[in-house]
Amino acid sequence: MIMTFLRAILNKRIPSRLLTGLIFLSSLLIAGGSFAEERNGNVYGLPPCVTTTGMQIDAVIKIIFWLTLVVFILTQGTYIYYLIAYRRRPGVPAHYSHGNNTLEIIWTTAPTLVFLALAIYGDRLWEDIHRPAPESALTIDVSSYQFGWQFRYPGISGQLAPMDVRKINPQNPFGTDPSNPKTAQDVITTDLVIPVGRPVHVLLHARDVIHSFYVPEFRLYQDCVPGRTIGWVWFQATQTGDFQLACNQLCGTGHYNMKAPIKIVSEGEFQKWLTTRQQKNAGTLSAPTSAPSPAKAATLTAPTPGNTL
Amino acid sequence: MSATLTHDGVAAVEVHGGDHHNDHGHGKPGIMHYLWNTDHKMIALQFLWSATFFLLFGGAMALAMRWQLAFPGHPIPVIGHLLPHGVVNDEGAIIPSGYNVLVTMHGTILVFFVAMPLLIGVFGNFLIPLKIGAGDMAFPALNELSYWLFALSGVIMLSSFWVPGGAPGTGWTAYAPLSSVAAYNQTPMGQTLWCAALFVNGLSSITGAVNYITTVITMRAPGMTMFRLPLPVWAIFLTAILLILAIPVLSAAAALIIFDLNFGTTFYRPSGYGQPLLWQHLFWFFGHPEVYILILPAMGLTSEILAVFSRKPVFGYKAMVWAMIAIGFLGFVVWGHHMYVSGMNLTLSAAFSVSTMVIAVPSAIKTFNWMGTIWRGSIHYTVPMAFSVAFVSMFVIGGLSGIFMASTPVDLFVHHTYFIVAHFHYVLFGGSMFAIFAAIYFWFPKMSGRMFNNTLGWIHFWMTFVFFNLTFFPMHNLGLGGMMRRIADPTVYDCLKQLQPLNVVCTIGAMGLGLATLPFVWNIVWSMRNGPKAPANPWNSTTLEWTVSHPIPHGNFAVTPTVYHGPYEYSVPGLVKDYLPQNEKAPAHITLEAH
Repeated sequence: MIMTFLRAILNKRIPSRLLTGLIFLSSLLIAGGSFAEERNGNVYGLPPCVTTTGMQIDAVIKIIFWLTLVVFILTQGTYIYYLIAYRRRPGVPAHYSHGNNTLEIIWTTAPTLVFLALAIYGDRLWEDIHRPAPESALTIDVSSYQFGWQFRYPGISGQLAPMDVRKINPQNPFGTDPSNPKTAQDVITTDLVIPVGRPVHVLLHARDVIHSFYVPEFRLYQDCVPGRTIGWVWFQATQTGDFQLACNQLCGTGHYNMKAPIKIVSEGEFQKWLTTRQQKNAGTLSAPTSAPSPAKAATLTAPTPGNTL
Repeated sequence: MSATLTHDGVAAVEVHGGDHHNDHGHGKPGIMHYLWNTDHKMIALQFLWSATFFLLFGGAMALAMRWQLAFPGHPIPVIGHLLPHGVVNDEGAIIPSGYNVLVTMHGTILVFFVAMPLLIGVFGNFLIPLKIGAGDMAFPALNELSYWLFALSGVIMLSSFWVPGGAPGTGWTAYAPLSSVAAYNQTPMGQTLWCAALFVNGLSSITGAVNYITTVITMRAPGMTMFRLPLPVWAIFLTAILLILAIPVLSAAAALIIFDLNFGTTFYRPSGYGQPLLWQHLFWFFGHPEVYILILPAMGLTSEILAVFSRKPVFGYKAMVWAMIAIGFLGFVVWGHHMYVSGMNLTLSAAFSVSTMVIAVPSAIKTFNWMGTIWRGSIHYTVPMAFSVAFVSMFVIGGLSGIFMASTPVDLFVHHTYFIVAHFHYVLFGGSMFAIFAAIYFWFPKMSGRMFNNTLGWIHFWMTFVFFNLTFFPMHNLGLGGMMRRIADPTVYDCLKQLQPLNVVCTIGAMGLGLATLPFVWNIVWSMRNGPKAPANPWNSTTLEWTVSHPIPHGNFAVTPTVYHGPYEYSVPGLVKDYLPQNEKAPAHITLEAH
């Protein structure tokens, strides 16, 4: 095909206007590409992937990428070849044809099979990703609001205080039961700290509108729906590092800046961090429960109305 | 239905029956001629000018957004100060709530006030009666009512900028409960007007659709069987059916938002036992057929233009029709692919993934048939042909990127990123808008009786083609890099800072795309009055609209034409000229191939 194209150029069968256009276009792309390349490490690739499911997803992306790339080159290549080869030439009339039923059957059946295979392949992974979280998983309650995040970890008892989405209100942002002793033990943070190598099960909640739990490096997106607990999201980090949790569902004025730091740390570091926080909470427990410490009260107050500019 | 309506309906049928003494709309055109005119050709022009206004308006909003994304927080040069205070701050830089307004209004306006009126209002109106050999629409007064409902909905939509709180910033998808609770969106009046505008706009679409369906079914010229209909008519006919089935769902859903916002109901509010996901199901049950409402007419228009300038019959005419019918049916069972990760049942997501993959098949069939149409043709490159050729190419890119998101696990990563923004702009701009440009140039001689300026047309094409790709192709990379859509400032995220040069590239492309529109608008405005006079059939086309000369009289055809064969008989061997109009019988010695 390339040879035909070159021969066509040499024989000046291709209008120079078209050729100039093509050269202009490709030089623009190359220039744009090198401009971006010289300043950035990773403009063309995916961001680093730090979860086990993310790697499985990347594998599917790669398969679809190569498949669509081949289809792209074949269709666009054939198309451009036709556009050049069959341009109007004096004395060469168009071929009179209304179509070909055999071809129609072939190009209906072949894509159907490919697309169904892709759907089945994708759906199998989808099911695998959403199998129930293992027993060993660390459970974190993720609470989203206009415009920020709070995270609730199990207290010294090792269990999260039970909650009820219908009880979520500005005075009780997590919907927990104040009379339950575990409620006061819960560790509440604004950073999402997770251990590497251990399954993490997040219970997603929204206090007001729909938000979403999106971390590109986790290859993970899930909406948090008010009035519901989304309980099927879990993941396992494969390396330590600092990342950012983003809200990726338009949720109002401060949406663009509704983020939270994610720290993936070693199991040891995580245990040390969580135990310190748990003991701090347990320490406040010795004081009368009716008067929680100022620090604790601060974390539990209703969120301030968002990041203004 | 009013008495006038019945009268007009009867009058139109009489015209169709050969009585051409119906003279409304004739005489010296006064102001009323432009305000209330039941002639389908005039109504098409009303839609054309209104939609062109909205195209410039909605496009300008996109440029403002692109400026903000490339240079977050920097004042917009020159015009920054002129923008309303709900959108920019004192320095003339876009504020985040203003960015949300731009996102919302750009999407809403381009879908409901540009793409739909251009494809359905302009070409549905202009082409259906002319192509089927009818005098006018079945209900001419209802037709004009459809335009005025459209205009009214535009006024309501724009008025939301001036109410307290300003225009809504909840996205064109207006997800509840953000849209349905005043305390969350801070723009209850703007949101109410937005819903009301879509409701009225829906009435316009429904009245138009009823008209199109009735006209196509009852007013075809003798010999014009359904399988002799030109493909644009088929496409718009099927689109009209989709409109009638899909639009009422949106109207009802929007009405519920109005109730929630103003009358204390809680349809979408969980604290009142409502369901946030109800809105998404209703919206996307409309929204996915809507996607095909925007692409089917574009496919039909392109099929015809490719055939005309390849001087070949459309390859696989019947396959094209059945593919469109299949798209119409399947379009109603894929809405859940917008909701894989919305909190919907996970098995339902998997099921929607299968139907979504299946709906790609008819689009693939159409692509192969377009390539079959140009294969061994005698391609004549004109401005409308260039846009049609580019349509196919861009549609293939948009289709291929769609496969990524149709796969449920991949959607976990690319959902709501710039990858989807790239995808739907390849389909809606590279697809629908390119087809609209092609069709405007192609039928311009018939609409205005004059030729457009070729040089300006080519400038428009090359600028649009180059800058379109420069704007939207890097968005695939932005999306795969993890950049969220609808965020006013990507640089607040550490992982997105490195992508900023790509954002600058997109913005440069967008500015070029904005400039590219100027020669287009100038061309059609200037050529409408001053272009060289067009012959009746400048492209040597076969369909019936080219058999009437300008100015096309009210009632269109002096004698109702009789149709003898299918629409695309080009390069029939043995004929002197390379096209055989639908109303001309093939000579006895020529056998036309069955299509």
